[in-house]
Order: sequence, then C-alpha cells, then structure tokens
Amino acid sequence: MELQEKITILSGAARYDASCASSGSSREGSACGVGNTSQGGICHSWSDDGRCISLLKILLSNDCRYDCAYCVNRSSNPVPRASFTAREVVDLTMEFYRRNYIEGLFLSSAVNVSPDHTMEEMVRVAEILRNEERFGGYIHLKIIPGSSDELVRRAGLAADRISVNIELPSHESLQRLAPQKKKEAILAPMKLIGTEAGVSLVERRKSRKAPRFAPAGQSTQMIIGASPETDLQILQLSQGLYRKMNLKRVYYSAFVPVNEDNRLPVLSAPPLLREHRLYQADWLLRFYGFSPEEILSDDAPNLDESFDPKTAWALRHPEFFPVEINRADYATLLRVPGIGVVSAKRIIAARRFAPVTHEGMKKIGVVMKRAKYFITCSGRPFDKIDQQPARLRQRLLLGDGSEQKQPRQLVLPGLFA
Amino acid sequence: MNKYLYDGTPEGLVSAIGAILESGDDPEKTVLGIRQDTLFEEGLFLRTDSAFAEALFGRLRQRAPDAVQTLWYFTMAETSELETSLLRYIALAFEHGDRVNGYLTHPDVKAVVAIARKAGRELHRMKGLLRFEQLRDGSWLARMEPDHNVIQPLARHFSRRLRAQEWFIYDARRHSAAHWNGHALSFGNLEQFSRPKLSPEERVVQQHWQTFFKTIAIPERKNPRLQQSNMPAKYWKYLTEKQGE
Repeated sequence: MELQEKITILSGAARYDASCASSGSSREGSACGVGNTSQGGICHSWSDDGRCISLLKILLSNDCRYDCAYCVNRSSNPVPRASFTAREVVDLTMEFYRRNYIEGLFLSSAVNVSPDHTMEEMVRVAEILRNEERFGGYIHLKIIPGSSDELVRRAGLAADRISVNIELPSHESLQRLAPQKKKEAILAPMKLIGTEAGVSLVERRKSRKAPRFAPAGQSTQMIIGASPETDLQILQLSQGLYRKMNLKRVYYSAFVPVNEDNRLPVLSAPPLLREHRLYQADWLLRFYGFSPEEILSDDAPNLDESFDPKTAWALRHPEFFPVEINRADYATLLRVPGIGVVSAKRIIAARRFAPVTHEGMKKIGVVMKRAKYFITCSGRPFDKIDQQPARLRQRLLLGDGSEQKQPRQLVLPGLFA
Repeated sequence: MNKYLYDGTPEGLVSAIGAILESGDDPEKTVLGIRQDTLFEEGLFLRTDSAFAEALFGRLRQRAPDAVQTLWYFTMAETSELETSLLRYIALAFEHGDRVNGYLTHPDVKAVVAIARKAGRELHRMKGLLRFEQLRDGSWLARMEPDHNVIQPLARHFSRRLRAQEWFIYDARRHSAAHWNGHALSFGNLEQFSRPKLSPEERVVQQHWQTFFKTIAIPERKNPRLQQSNMPAKYWKYLTEKQGE
C-alpha cells in the first residue's frame, strides 16, 4: 500500500482523539540531534474543524480485534485497514519535524494481536526516534490497557506525555459500550504511571542525570454524550483523577456518531456546547479553586448551556457580590465572572500603583460586559445595578450577544496544559 | 511642554530617550517625535549616539530586565507615533523596576505593553507557522511576511531546534534574511530574491502533509471561522497545507 493511502486511513482514524497538546515539557536539543520542546507548547496549524494541530496525530494500525460501540475502528465496521511499520512512522515524524510542520508525534493504535504486541511496537517507534534519530521533540504515547508494566515503564521513559483513555465516564457504560475493555485494565496503568512519575521526580532532585519519566505528565480522554452520565458525575470523576491519580489533563470529546448501533443515542449533531462547558468547568476545578459540588448539585446536575459555569455560579450566589476590586484577595477576584487568572493577577499588580477604576479594568483586559454586574471599584458600582437574580440573568443573556449562540469549541492554549 | 526630535531609527529613539532622561526634564511634560525636515519644525533635534543608547540599555537591564524585554519587542513592532509613550514608560521603569509592566492602568504603559505583546504574539505564532522547504543542495529555506520584524528572535529559536541542518529564513516584506550554517547565525539583507529549486523529494513530503492536514479534521465539526480566527488568512500564502485553496 502507498504511504499516502496509509496516511489517509490512519490519520482519519486518529482524528477522534482530542489531545494535541505539546506543552509541559522542556527538553533541550542535543548538538547532533534534531528538535527540542517548549514549556508552553507550540501550535503549528489549525485544521478545518478549527482544532489546533501541534503533533503528527496518527494510529500505528486501525486493525482492531475489539468491537466497541462508539469506535470507528471497531472490528465489525467494514472500513479499509492499514498498519504502518515503525520505520515509516519514524521517517514521517522526522520529515515533518524538519519542515516545522509539527512539534512531535502523538501515537495511538488499535489492538489486533494482543495489547503487549501493539504496545511493544509503539514503544519501539519512540525508542528509535530517541536513540537512533536523536529526536528531541515531543512524543505522546497512548497506553494500551492490558499491556505489561515493563512496557508502560519503557513508554514513560521515551515519551514526554503518556495517557490511558478512560473512554466512558462510568464502569456501567464501559461494560455496555466497550465490553472487551475492563475498568481495572485502564486504572492499573494510570496508577503505575503516577507512581513512576513521582519516583522519577524524587530521583531527579537527587541527581540531574536521573531519567525523566513522562515529564509532561499523564492525561486521559472520555467521550461525552454517548452514555447517560450527568455533568456532575463527570466532573467528580475528573476531580478524582486530578487528586488521586495526579493527572495533568482530562480531555472531553463530544460524541460523534460514526456507527449505527442501538446501544448508542441518536444525535443530530455532536454535543459541542456541552463539551465546551465541561472544559470551562474543568478549568474552574484546576485553576480557580472550585469543587464539582459548587458548580453543580444533585438537583441541577448538568451545566447551564446559556451561561459559562462561573457566571452560573455567581447568579446563584448574590450574597458573595459585589466584590470590591481594590481590596479583594486573589481567590475572591477569581470568582468574579469576566475575571480570569491573568486579569486577576494584573489587577493585583496595577493596584499597587493606584486604585483601579472601571476604565482601568478595561485596560487590564477584564471582560466588563460580564464583570460589571458583580464588582465595585473603590466603592463605586458600574452603574445602578439591579442585583435581582432573575433580572440579572436576563440582562446577561441579552447583553451578551457574543457569549454563545454558536457553540464555540474550546481552543486549548498550551499555557496551562 | 518640551519638544524633542530624533531621526526615526530605533537606535536614535533609544539614545534620544537617554538624553532626555539625563537632562532632568519631566517626562510627563515632554514630547518626542520623528524629525520630518519641514521648514518650521519645532523642537530640539537629538543626535543618534549608539554608545549612549547601549549604555541606557545596560542600566535599564540592571534595573528592570523585563522592561528591556518589552522594549525589545516594542522595537520589533516598528511602530511610529508612540515615542512619547515609550519615553514615559522607560522613565517609570527606572523608577519602579519590573513592576512597571503591572501598571497597565497608566495609558503610556498600557500602550507600550500592548504593542510589545502584539509583536511577541506574532513571534510565537511564527514559531509554529514557519515552513521550511528542502532545496536541491540539501539546505532548507523558509519564507514569511510577518507584520512585525521578528526574524532575529525567530532565527535564534530555530538555531536551537534545527541545529543539525543548514537553513535560511527570508522575510519578503523587509528583504532581510537569516542564515544558520550548522554552527552560527548571520543576518543580512537581500535586494534580489528568487526562490531556488526544491529537492526532488520535497513535493512528495508536502503532499503527505497536505493529506494529513485534510484528513485530521472531523467532518461533522467543520468550523472555518474558528480556523481563520486562529490562523489568519494573511499567513496562508506560505503555508504548505493551504496551497491550492
């Protein structure tokens, strides 16, 4: 088969993987090698669906023995099958990298013979890149659930980031839609990776020469909307993964119906707005000090589609507002809709010089069309504000033409990934 | 109000700022602009003095390294008409050190930092969007037309990244070029430029990349507006994946 045709089949099959980050790792290139990595990550292009391309995202093979309901590569689908050799992936990565098309490689695969068989081949790609090509760019390897600890360790030593897909947000859904995959086979390597990464950090504190294990951390992905879990359940799961498994990122992927299967819901379009709201809520967990139970409750377990989750929280908590911009501490500023991590820091830096006024807030970059209802500057509100929640809701909805209407897809800036 | 003029070069700008700060004039009551060579122009012309400009940079680097970085990005923007803001920004940087970059509620600080940030953003963008092509002799060429004059820091980035290959970066807007020979960087201007012949394999790899680019998008999620807002059309001219559109 022509290489061109393999690329078509195996990048087409990889496009449902959400992750494309190239951040979180800083690797100096060597004098005789090619490539380095940048802590903040670099996007190299944006595909026709608007998502950033930073890695050569490709499957080693789409020839799968599993038959998961949601997956385009499931064994019962009559799709063209292809497999790369390790050398082909290595050469493609190098050719693309030298032309500055990519930051590195994201390699995943279907499982044909056995998890170990596939994992071994994927690890070999990464090891050839590192050892023979002296490649210093970014490598993200998917771990095949069920592969041996030894292979997971080798993967972690060769790659910058490794990830195990959780696939679906609950054990029951996994059983129903991917009966050949087992929860334990997914969680065991996650735990192992967390432990190994911790050990490596300790060793590196003792000696700079100690090997680095997945320096950009581990991530996972789950499909949203193929199964009945609520947003609250999903966020609680994510919080658990961040806290207990020490994950760097959880990716949410709106379910795209690629198969006819009566176990799957019938959707007219992928739930992109829901995906977007989940990413916003995930951000609140990681950088804003919110807990899942603050964002959602058993009475209202799903995210509001009309408002971003922080605005929705603010509308439910009028007692917290208004926040005085010139006195509030960082954590309090972060709770104001329209004020993000960057603008909260800028407010604190600017008010050392002079009190911040409404005009100053705009200069700092605060989204005033949201923030103005929730703040005072040196005691002065923006204008006579009606704090009555129902009317405030209405004003935010009407005044916010750009807030939604069109489901926006989250762009994942490398900055905090 | 004191009025001063300089010759319009970045060096002239920095040395004029140095001279004004030394004179003891209050920067808040001083205006600085480019000399237009008209008959009745008002203001005192300050001569460019490279050594003086260098000395100012040196002192500022000690006092406020981040502000020097901002100043460096600001000059990449090749903007005119903000000289007075820059003068006041630098005066504040000497007074407050690096904290000055946090004083975004000050109109001059805001103006300078905003321009510098724009240039910095384009530099970062070009690190991703620059495309190298292999030439017949085995060396590599990347062409670009950025809004800001980012070739120097961009070339430094690639001198670490693509250390083992010989390459050129050509800025078609400014007719300037950077060259990495595998060991050292050099910069120069090209009055005439014609694109050399590509290596025989180059077309094949470009096709591979175009195929990848096309198939990696999820058809059900097509979003050309989002694509354009992240990757403005002004960059497409030199993007391999956008050729033939």
